[in-house]
Amino acid sequence: MSTAPRLQVVYVAGFATVQDLGRRGYRILGVPVSGALDRLSAAYANALVGNPSSYAVVEVFGSVKLRPTVDAVVAITGGYPRVFVGDVEVAPWAPFYCRAGSEVSVVPTGRGYAHYVAISGGVLCEEVLGSVSTYVRGGFGCLGRALRPGDELGLRAVGADEVWDRVRRVKPPGEVVARSADPGDPAVLRATEGIHAHLLGDLSTLLTSEYTVTPESDRMGYRLDGPPLATAFKLGRLPSTPTDRGYVQVPPDGRPIVLMADAQTTGGYAVALHVVQPDTDILAQLRPGRRVRFKLVSLEEAEEITSKYLAELENPTLALAEEEEYWT
Amino acid sequence: MGADIRIVRSGGYVVHLDICEELSMECVGRAHRLYYAALQELSGLVDEVVLGVTSLALYYDPRRVRASELVTSIKRVWSWAREADLNELHRPRRFTVPVVYGDEYGPDLSSVAKWAGLSEKEVVRIHSSRVYTCITLGFTPGFIYLGEVDPRIAAPRLETPRVRIPRGSVGIAGRMTGVYGLESPGGWRLIGRTPLTMFDPRRSPPIPIAPGDEVLFKPVEPEEFSRLSGVFVGEYSS
Repeated sequence: MSTAPRLQVVYVAGFATVQDLGRRGYRILGVPVSGALDRLSAAYANALVGNPSSYAVVEVFGSVKLRPTVDAVVAITGGYPRVFVGDVEVAPWAPFYCRAGSEVSVVPTGRGYAHYVAISGGVLCEEVLGSVSTYVRGGFGCLGRALRPGDELGLRAVGADEVWDRVRRVKPPGEVVARSADPGDPAVLRATEGIHAHLLGDLSTLLTSEYTVTPESDRMGYRLDGPPLATAFKLGRLPSTPTDRGYVQVPPDGRPIVLMADAQTTGGYAVALHVVQPDTDILAQLRPGRRVRFKLVSLEEAEEITSKYLAELENPTLALAEEEEYWT
Repeated sequence: MGADIRIVRSGGYVVHLDICEELSMECVGRAHRLYYAALQELSGLVDEVVLGVTSLALYYDPRRVRASELVTSIKRVWSWAREADLNELHRPRRFTVPVVYGDEYGPDLSSVAKWAGLSEKEVVRIHSSRVYTCITLGFTPGFIYLGEVDPRIAAPRLETPRVRIPRGSVGIAGRMTGVYGLESPGGWRLIGRTPLTMFDPRRSPPIPIAPGDEVLFKPVEPEEFSRLSGVFVGEYSS
């Protein structure tokens, strides 16, 4: 019998996939970037267990129960779920030690939507086009489908005790947790004008109204309900242009769709706004029924915001926790 | 320059270029010149260049370069690329794609024939008698946009898209024709289906057809479908 470390999927209620920070360089072939919907939470989950940001994590909408077959350091981020090791409750957004064979449960609380499970060493899974991110529609990346009870994933072998010594006192900045766990109601999404703002003309409806996340939202896009943008009614379909995560498409019904990680690489609807990348992570945490509004920023501000975000994704900033904030 | 292409900055990491507003193969040729010239000259500045039907997007890291500097470089590249010989930037390869037309392989062949006022046989003959240029790839993995379709059979897309289209399906949408690389939803009128594997993510590259390459459709009998099933598009020779 193989003794290679594994991660067993015990229970899934909802939708769970393996994701990393995405598949780059193949959009010209129509391959979406995919990757974690809230990338900053995924990067911090990894940092909290001593992994590089790019390691694969499990993304969970709903509940999941996972069992590592070796001792491991585990951290759960994204929103603010309840977390259990066996029947002992531990805190999210902090590393904890999990004995071989113990079950880690993630239970949603209504705070946030997309949860991330990182395990010391990271999940090992089939890499396709430079990434293990699961792209379910294409059927490739890791298992090529959502996780099911009975699945077993590989784990990179690392010494859990050595990792624990390094990370047991680290914690993420409070604003990173708050961004994901308490994004505001309505959540404010900063955006520049989109590539078709000139065709749509007056964007004031979009910029002054509140919109509600609808149940038709998924990893491809978050569909919003609210006052329609009337100038889109007459536009119809345009020649397909490259699109990206954060593009706010407005189909002829005038109701905005914010493209997300699995979105198609080209699209034929008018693009009114472009949500800055860190704020697409915030949107990822809004379950159906939650509200958003858009706030226009300049291109120069957007470059600053993007620069800071990319740097933080690569190198999440961890602080030392105070004594009384220990969780073991 | 500047008068002939529209340059838009977006989101703090994208420079979008509209080459023209309406599809024409002349415009597509201009887009291809800029695409291949940008790949050649700007790959040190940008992370990824993506081609639309009549537009391009350059994705950049604002920690390395700012849009203002990138736009200056794009204008410099365009000033020579617009006059360049496209064959020198990208030597087109030709691919033959066998297609079973009609019936369950192409459920919309009859509606295209009706739209055109022609027989189904005539639609197939017209569709398979010209060499198409790959305009770009996009939408879903391995979907190829091809042009330009004979105006006699350039039927518009369906009013209501299908939820599920089998991979390899060949469709028409106005002056474009295309092949679905993977199973996906879609609104193009399906006139046939190729048995070839058009996209295989475990190969490098997953699809050998690049923008500017040529594609010729070859009608084959339904009996051929299972015989050719799974042959990779890059390895088929007629």
